[in-house]
Amino acid sequence: MKRFLRWAAVVVVVIAMFGFLAFLYFIPPFFTTPPETFGKLMADAAPAVTDIADPAERAIAERGRYIVMTSGCIGCHAVVGSQGPDLSLYLGGGGLKIQTPHATFVSRNLTPDKETGLGRRTDDEVKRVLRSGTFSDGHVVEGTVMPWPVFSNWTEEDRHAVVVYLRHLKPIHHVTPEPVLGRAITIPGAIEQDYAGKDYGTSKAERR
Amino acid sequence: MNRRLRYMCAAAAALLVVAAVSQLPARVEAQPRGKNVYDAHCVECHGDMGRGDGPSAAYVTPRPRDFTSGKYKIRSTETGSVPTDDDLMQSVRQGLYSTAMPGWARILSDDEIADVVAYIKGLSPQFGTPPRPVTVGAGVPSSPESIARGQQVYDKLQCGKCHGSDGRGTGAVATTFEDDRQQPLRAADLTEPWTFHGGATARDVYLRFRTGMAGTPMPSFADAASDSEMWDLSNYVVSMARKPVWSMNADEIKALYESQAADAKANPVKRGAYLVETLACVVCHTPVDEQKRMLPGLRLAGGVLLRIVPFGDYPTGNLTSDKATGLGNWSDDEIKRAITKGILRDGTRLLPFPMDYASNSTMTADDLSAVVAYLRTVPPVTNKVPAPRRTFLPVYLWGKFKMLILGQDPPMVFFPGNAGLTGGR
Repeated sequence: MKRFLRWAAVVVVVIAMFGFLAFLYFIPPFFTTPPETFGKLMADAAPAVTDIADPAERAIAERGRYIVMTSGCIGCHAVVGSQGPDLSLYLGGGGLKIQTPHATFVSRNLTPDKETGLGRRTDDEVKRVLRSGTFSDGHVVEGTVMPWPVFSNWTEEDRHAVVVYLRHLKPIHHVTPEPVLGRAITIPGAIEQDYAGKDYGTSKAERR
Repeated sequence: MNRRLRYMCAAAAALLVVAAVSQLPARVEAQPRGKNVYDAHCVECHGDMGRGDGPSAAYVTPRPRDFTSGKYKIRSTETGSVPTDDDLMQSVRQGLYSTAMPGWARILSDDEIADVVAYIKGLSPQFGTPPRPVTVGAGVPSSPESIARGQQVYDKLQCGKCHGSDGRGTGAVATTFEDDRQQPLRAADLTEPWTFHGGATARDVYLRFRTGMAGTPMPSFADAASDSEMWDLSNYVVSMARKPVWSMNADEIKALYESQAADAKANPVKRGAYLVETLACVVCHTPVDEQKRMLPGLRLAGGVLLRIVPFGDYPTGNLTSDKATGLGNWSDDEIKRAITKGILRDGTRLLPFPMDYASNSTMTADDLSAVVAYLRTVPPVTNKVPAPRRTFLPVYLWGKFKMLILGQDPPMVFFPGNAGLTGGR
């Protein structure tokens, strides 16, 4: 009897261990989730522009929405929750940290919040970053960190549409850290290292 | 007493050192003040030696200036002459419209701009000979008669060969070119004055005709047309301007977008090129060196090694039309499936990151076809990209444990160099 109990305990422990390893192996189930699910997430995420009263602005914002959605801005500028990007905090930033040999960057809050988002910036400032990666303090962000060199190829009118759309997002109060310039990277041989998965902002994101 | 003396000696020595060190910047400053400004703000595009080969240079059209050549497009000086200091200051201050060059007027002081201009001039021996500025007369004021005369000059000088009969490229022989460094260029769309790099006043346009744009197929017309003819032409070009989208009403915007959609449908390769250029495909699918500069000849040829901890090493695919190693033998539907669903030709699935097929799947069917149409035209490059390598199982499980249980965020690492085999060259 005693012997049987001991064997049973061993079997339970082994099964639990294998179960745990299997859990680790399969979670998160990227390869069993249909790819359409990810696509639907992205399509649903970008807020619609139907509530814009001015028809001209609505038409431009619709174009901007298409560009923002297809360009995958949310891939970096999203607050990440336990179930992937937190889509109610669309483009609130803080979900990605990138280290390069020259600096550490955290994705910024692109919503029109006046204290922590693009509400602080003029249209020209936003367009300048999208066109030439140059911020008002004169620092130029590296082109592989924020792919501004490819967004630089947008026509001026498409860039305008993107800015118009960003102006119509829901403002989210979310402090994202300023870049730390001059910090070394840790993995030898790499030119860049990203960390994504949690909120790298410094305060809890909230919707206003 | 002895000890006190020693302290005093030490203090005096320290003072001397501090004095010497604080003198250093003053001595160094005289020459490289401009270099400091340059290193802080210009290197990302123009490169550390000013050759126009910075890390971001190869992604932007038009490409950044190569300062060692001494050739400048935006000048007020004769053909073959270097620009004046004022020309250079002006370009730095206001930027070059519709290019990656921003206006620095609000970021840098006038002194800093003067310093950096002095530094840039030092990069090219051509500045040894002084500039020969053109004399710009009072000009011809714009009037319907002047514009009508300008239209005749436009036809006479065959501007339409590059800019099209309507200024938008319609009927042009070609609208994309290469400059003298074999880098891509577009003929200006004359109906969109906000894209004129050097400004869109009649005087700006006159100067571009009068002086030519060095290094590009745009010649000087100083010998082919009289001064008044050039002013008429400038007035005509200024009059071609259409409204930009930000000044349009809803109906005009609808008409503009519909005409753009029709253009895109008629010329899917052009639309696809625009999409591939702006969707950041190039950033991961072109290998770079340690300075993040594109490796020559490997645009879109894949082979960038991305280590996605803990899942494995995923080299990016070869998107050129090469039959053996690129997309040459893929069917349209297979390419579309890879772009929108992350399923490769052999049925293997990609992780939902960093290849953002989820976002790509929100593209319209027309745009998706345009992207495929463009990829078919990318010149073939042989670059055999190795298959993804999954992490060794125990390491993978340990990585997952750290990620899920210990809450550490795993990195995605971007390596320089080409992981593929170019072979045979």
